[in-house]
This record gives sequence, C-alpha cells and structure tokens, in this order.
Amino acid sequence: MRPTHLHIIKKVLLYCLIFVVSLSAFFFFINLVPGDPVTRYVETMRAQYSYSIPVSDELIQEYKQAFGLDKPLFTRYIYYIRELLLKQNFGPSFVAFPKPAHELILTALPWSIGLLGFSVIIAWVLGMVIGTIVGWKRGTGLDHSITPIGLIVSQIPPYLLALLLLMVLSYALEIFPSGGPYSAHLERGFTLQFVLSLLYHAFLPSLSLVLVYVCAWMISQRALVINLLGEDYVRFAEAKGLGSARLVNRYILRNTLLPQTTGLAMSLGFIINGSFLIEWIFRYPGIGYLFVTAIMAMDYNVLMGCVVVSMFFVLLANLLIDLLYPLIDPRIRRGEW
Amino acid sequence: MLKETGTNFLVRSSRIFKSSLKLRIGIILFTVLVISVILEPAINNYRLEGHESTEIGVYDALLPFTFEHPLGTDHYGRDVLALLLTGLKYSLFIGLMAGGLATLIAVSLALMAGYKGGRLETLVTTFTNAVLIIPLWPILAIAVLFVERADLVLIIVILAFFSWPWACRQITPQIASLKERPYIELAKVSGLRDLEIMFKEILPNFLPYVIVGFSYAVAGAIMAETALRLVGLGPGAIPSLGLLINWAMYTGALAQQHYVIVLSPILLLVLIFVSLNFINIGLDEVYNPRLKKITGL
Repeated sequence: MRPTHLHIIKKVLLYCLIFVVSLSAFFFFINLVPGDPVTRYVETMRAQYSYSIPVSDELIQEYKQAFGLDKPLFTRYIYYIRELLLKQNFGPSFVAFPKPAHELILTALPWSIGLLGFSVIIAWVLGMVIGTIVGWKRGTGLDHSITPIGLIVSQIPPYLLALLLLMVLSYALEIFPSGGPYSAHLERGFTLQFVLSLLYHAFLPSLSLVLVYVCAWMISQRALVINLLGEDYVRFAEAKGLGSARLVNRYILRNTLLPQTTGLAMSLGFIINGSFLIEWIFRYPGIGYLFVTAIMAMDYNVLMGCVVVSMFFVLLANLLIDLLYPLIDPRIRRGEW
Repeated sequence: MLKETGTNFLVRSSRIFKSSLKLRIGIILFTVLVISVILEPAINNYRLEGHESTEIGVYDALLPFTFEHPLGTDHYGRDVLALLLTGLKYSLFIGLMAGGLATLIAVSLALMAGYKGGRLETLVTTFTNAVLIIPLWPILAIAVLFVERADLVLIIVILAFFSWPWACRQITPQIASLKERPYIELAKVSGLRDLEIMFKEILPNFLPYVIVGFSYAVAGAIMAETALRLVGLGPGAIPSLGLLINWAMYTGALAQQHYVIVLSPILLLVLIFVSLNFINIGLDEVYNPRLKKITGL
C-alpha cells in the first residue's frame, strides 16, 4: 500500500473514532448533569403561561414518555446513537412538536456552512498574505503600523466585534441592515437582486469573523516568516542571489503552510463557538441562531442536534485538512511519518 | 539550587518587568483593572450612598452625563459607572477563579504527561487536541441551562472544566523540553524521586509558562462566561459584564441610541483580553530571547 493511502485510511478511522467517543462523552455528560430537561421545560412553560396549574409528576412523566426520556440512561444512549447514525434522527423538537429536530437543523445548516466556510477561508488566505508581507518588511513603517493593530484586534472575541460593528455600521451610521438573511420583501430565487441582498446581509456577520481571524493569522504568519528569515538555508538562498519572489514562494510560504494549516484545523472549533453568537446577534438563520433560540425555549432535542451537527462538521473539516497534508508535506508522501 | 532571598526575587522581577514593553503595558493595564475591582465596594458605596449598584429605580432613568453620573444612568435608573465596576468585579473574579482551577488541572496533567512521556504523553496530547477541536461553548451552554440553581461556584467549576485544554496546550510541550535539560538528568542520577524532581526542579523553572497558560485560561473563561451571559444564561443575581450587555440589548439601548450603555462593558472586556495577551507576549519575549532578537518589536 502507498504511504498516502495508509495516511488516508488511518485518518478516516481516527476521526470516526473521535466522533463516536466525543458523541458518547457529550451524551453522558449532558445526562449526568444534575437537573433534567423535561422538568425544566415544564417549569418554564408553567412560569410563562399558567401559574395556577401545579407541575404534577404525571404531567412530567407524560412528557418524558412522549420524548422517550423515561427509559434508563443506557437504553436511551443505545437508542440515540442508533437513530442518529442510521437514520440521522435527533428525535422530535419540543417546541415545534411533532416536527423532527433534524428538519429544523437541515434548514439552518446551509446558512451556517455558507457564512462560516466563506469567512474562514477568506480570513485565512488574507492573513497568510498580509502576514508574509509584514514579516518580509519587518522593522519598516508598514510593520510598525499594522502589527500593533493586529495584536489588539486579534484579541477581541468575534462576538464583541460583531456587537461593535452592529452598533456603528448598522445603528449609528445605518449603512448595513441590523439582521436577517435577506430583505424581507424579496422572493427567494436566483435573481441578481436576491443574491445582492444575500451578500449585503451576510457582510457584517462575515466581517466580524474575518477581521479578527485575519489579524490572528497575520500575527502568527509574521512570526513564522521572521523565524524562517533567520534560518541558515534562507540566508544562503538570499546570499546566492535568489529573486525575492522565488524566495518567498519556495522557501518561506512552503514552510509556513504546514504549521498554518494545522493552526486552521485546531481553531475551527473555537471559530464555531464564536459564530454561534454572531448568528444570534445578526439574526442570521443558521445553526447558531437555532441553538440560541432553542436555549431560550429549552428545546432539548434541537440543542443536542445542533451540538452533534457542529461536532460532525468540525471533525469533517479537520479530516479534509488532514487529507490535504500529503500534498503539503512530502514526508507523508514518502511514508517517513 | 540556589536559595533565593527576597531582594533577589525583587531584583529579578523588576529586571523582567523592564525588559519588555509589552509585558509592562499588559501588567500595568491589568493592575489598574484589579485595583479598580478592589476599590469597587468603597467607590460604589460612596457614590451611591449605600445603595447597591444593581438596585432598580434609585435615580431617574436614562439621565445624561453629569458630574454625579459620569456615564449617565440606564433604563432602570441605575448608575452606569457603578454597574460597570460591579460587572468588572464579577467578570474578573469568575475568570481568575475558573482560570486558576483550569491551570491547576492543566499543570497536573502536563506534569504527568510531559515528565513521564511515552504513551501517557501521547494520550494526554491526543485527548487535549481532540477536546480543543470540538466546539465546546454550546456544550457548556447546555450544561448551564439544565443545571438546577446555577450559582457562582458551580459556574466557576463548569468554566474551569471547559477551559483547561487551553492552558494544557501551552504547558505540555514546555515540560517535555525542560525534562531533556542536563540538570534534570543530574537530579535523576542523584536518586531524587519523580515527585521531588517534578516539584523542586521542573515546576520552578517553568513557572513563566504556567503564568502564560493561566492567562490563556483566564481569557478563555471570561470569553465563555461573557458569551453565556450575553444570551441570558447563568445566575441572574450575578451581574458580570456579559449580563450588563444582555440587559442593555434587551432594553433596546441600541435602537434608542444609548450607545454608551452597550459600548462601555464591551470596551472593558476588550481591555481585559488585550492586557492578558500583552502579558503573554511579553513573557514569551523575555523567556524566548531568540524570538525577541528576531521580532525586535
């Protein structure tokens, strides 16, 4: 078997294992936390609609039965995993009963993937490019003006930046819409007007992610480039008169690609954490918005479903990045790793 | 090892302090924040004449900026500056406590993994990385949602439980490199026990990395906590900065253009994160002189 194939098989198996293990850990963790979703759900409903009706055990039992939460933990675990893996079924939504949770999640999913995929890739590429330029021109005015800004912006959590952008660009200056996926009066369809409206509405949520992560990747890329510039082989290449385009391409970018790709893979989970709030802040109808509204409504199955789906996609993205490694790293192709 | 006297320690600390501008900025900013938190009870007591900062209707709602109310009052007639100080107190306290607990977990894991090496190290590293890949905040949110009576202690424990991987990833590689140093070999040869080597030889030398791990964990915990409070989770009686933003959003401060009520807690949070990060970068510069020479910032 070729080393590349071996690498692929190993990675696919590893990620399947991580998915099942983290799924199980998540299931047991949520179920072992003291407090149970049905009681909390019924209590909240009672607080909202009718103070007079006491919360009876019968009512709670009835709800538990309807949602299959009355069985012992291990039976439920087997059932949950089986339904999930075989039928992609997360159980019914509490609030939109009997609509299954996966329908809600499936409608939300494309929005999140679109927004996140687009923002993350743009931020990463831009960060790499700007970081390389700034690192290459280290110590110049350019470096001294961009780097401190980058250092500070990269430390602002994206959801706080989203609030700031919302405040300035949407409420104070009224340049951008304050939320929603597209203008309410437009029909969904593949028209220029609709696409423009989509982009216009996605701009601010996307910008809050892009700004922070461009800065973060710029800072790490700059450090990597400056480190490489001190290496003997780069100095030697410079000394023998290699053109700077070739030097940057072959000697520097190539060597920063591996750590930066790893960095991208490692930070995806963290980016998703932030995107949940950003979608909620801009009322952007993705998984994050669904999740936060489900929190407020205590919609157990939808909550579980959102987490499982985002776990799945983070692991899938990580797997894809890992599968790109043989292209970046010749050592894997030759089977040295 | 040499015994360090008090003055020696002071001299060394001040040398470290002087050697990096970023470290200085970070430490000074953070100290200012901590001092204002320490003074919070006194200042609020004096300014509000004995009222709690969260007490509703003490003043008129939405007063403009005056000498009595430098940042005005909010929709419930509470002094915004007083609320900010209280919010800062809870945010920092929760962050430091959760961060401390997380660092404790991370250091114990890293010491075990890094020093013992081999299988255990692989296991801990794989586990930490797997936990880091997964989006943890939603899980944290569900846990806080379903817990009965989420109080301060519980929030801190839950936050710590979710923020140790950040500290662990900073610390584990450092221990692995430290244990290769000759003096550790020497200690081993001279028959010290593993625990003795860990605590007497390794721990003091990687203290800076522990501090870096700690400040990562603190920042992570505050970030997660603010996000929780922003969507209205957690104990409503504990007004941290995130809950202040939530209150402001829900009273429509943005639409009514009372921007200061929203802006001020956000800026305070940014200040916390930036100061923690400057401390990190500063320590990195001091303890990785190679980096400083190269980056020259």
